Amino acid sequence: MRPRHILVGTTLLVAIIFIFLPVVMLVLYSFQDGLVPVPPFRGFSLRWYEKVLSNRKLLEAMGNSVIVGGLSSTAATMLGFLAAYGLARSRPRGSRAIQYALMAPITVSYLIIGMGLLITFNGIGIERSLIAVGIGHVVINLPLCFAITYSQLGEHQANVERAAQDLGASDLQALLLITVPMLWPTLLAAYFIAFTLSWDEFVIAFLLSKFDVTLPVVIWNMLRSGLSPELNAAGTLVFTTSIALVIVVELLLVRGRRRG
Amino acid sequence: MQLRGVVKRYGNQVAVEKIDLDIAEGEFVVLLGPSGSGKTTVLSMIGGFIEPSEGRVFIGGEDVTNMPPAKRPKTTVFQDYALFPHMSVRNNVGFGLAMRKVVRVERNARADAMLKLVGLEGYGDRGIHELSGGQRQRVALARAIAVEPKVLLLDEPLGALDLALRRQMQEELVHIQKRLGTTFVHVTHDQEEAMSIADRIVVMSAGRIEDMGPPARVYLRPASLFSATFMGESNILAGEVVEATSSVSWVKTAIGTLTVPTPATIGTRVSLSIRPEQLHIGRANEGAKSLGVGCISETSFQGTHVRARVTLNVAGGAELLLRAPAAIDLTVGSDVELSVRPGDLVLLTA
Repeated sequence: MRPRHILVGTTLLVAIIFIFLPVVMLVLYSFQDGLVPVPPFRGFSLRWYEKVLSNRKLLEAMGNSVIVGGLSSTAATMLGFLAAYGLARSRPRGSRAIQYALMAPITVSYLIIGMGLLITFNGIGIERSLIAVGIGHVVINLPLCFAITYSQLGEHQANVERAAQDLGASDLQALLLITVPMLWPTLLAAYFIAFTLSWDEFVIAFLLSKFDVTLPVVIWNMLRSGLSPELNAAGTLVFTTSIALVIVVELLLVRGRRRG
Repeated sequence: MQLRGVVKRYGNQVAVEKIDLDIAEGEFVVLLGPSGSGKTTVLSMIGGFIEPSEGRVFIGGEDVTNMPPAKRPKTTVFQDYALFPHMSVRNNVGFGLAMRKVVRVERNARADAMLKLVGLEGYGDRGIHELSGGQRQRVALARAIAVEPKVLLLDEPLGALDLALRRQMQEELVHIQKRLGTTFVHVTHDQEEAMSIADRIVVMSAGRIEDMGPPARVYLRPASLFSATFMGESNILAGEVVEATSSVSWVKTAIGTLTVPTPATIGTRVSLSIRPEQLHIGRANEGAKSLGVGCISETSFQGTHVRARVTLNVAGGAELLLRAPAAIDLTVGSDVELSVRPGDLVLLTA
């Protein structure tokens, strides 16, 4: 019994270290009081954060990331939800096939999607731009938002909507007064998951942007000129934002589960 | 409210066979049947959630067959209540009024009046998740009657409640129904519930109406074998009509030839139904006819009565179920004589 406990404990510890060590190193050396983010740790300083926050290029990219993430997540959540609602309620012929077709892009690599979009946009004359990146992010996030909301539109939800119609609500009233408010935590969760993925998505952003770029692309550009604690600081900011969003999502989903 | 030749088919399967049903204004009708009997399908066709394959549905003389659920002058109490969890109790009850563009002040006043009617006065500001199952049930009822529908449809609304609460709600349903004068169409598979609340019971099986009438008539004089067995326990004796006049027939069964005050065609195979409480112990009197002597094989005390199985001393050993007053001492293994009044025998063809 005891040796087994020790074995399990050790394995867990190794796994946790394996997963978190890079992140810990990244965060730790963002506070490096020195010029290179490599051991030994020379002491605690916030000067790299100062530098990041006064770096116009980085700040601009951060702003771009927020805009692209915000708009593409809104579009992906709305489109995903409407597709899920339409499919769940009208049950057209072959709805299973449509469901799988909508979710299939989850399995395709971002590189393939990015290349495909690049060729398509070239063909129809859409410039490489933040708009193109945003469209790309809708493409990758819509299937996720669809899957998340579709799972919440089951028989009980349908019955509640039926009750609203029974009391005289039109389809639109039932959707706006009952379905959307009831699914609000799920919709927000889908939105934040989409935002998180857009926030640190690199491949599509790199392939489809030109002059205005998003944060991961700028960081990649800076990396080419060598390691610097400034990059660690930028990375830490990206990471912290993602973690904060994930926590928000978890809280929303827990709340949704408790109410449902 | 009328159903005229209503049929529901799913592919080749018939869920509801041609049904004609007239429900008077202010009547409390219970659709009773086992699951899969088509009772809920009938309710959904009245509600507008399922479209009939054939036939017409009328509410208040108006043909509503092609009308969407929102437009029909009826509301529904759903089995899982289907309350709106993101709204207060008051807003749940007032939802139908809001859809009818009733102003807020009036809507809230009416919602509070409805809550009082169902015994939830002062609960208006609570959230749905703060309520117990029984309270949710009441909110669902208040929400449905707040818009003063012509017909209220109830889809097994008491199924999730415990027995004591169910009894209480049955009584309250009847009180509320009598007070409002609204037509109630209630679906259940519980025959005791049906008998205690209905003005009229419609017994359904396999998509057909088997029997229809006031509870006492349906229980005491069931129109079909299914109805006899589904409406509580019954002794069914198979037999053949051996003699008949215009008012009486003689049926030969395993326990002898019995006289039944019902005309029948000689030679037909029939079933006789006897309710367990209609079997009497002891010597035949007051026009009752003896069924012979039998041995008590099993008893169980049920509080209000004793339930016993008696094996009659005849070839083949027919077993009868009887229900005797609790005061009577029945000992397993002892012999008793059983008798029945001919008028209590119900003759069922097929």
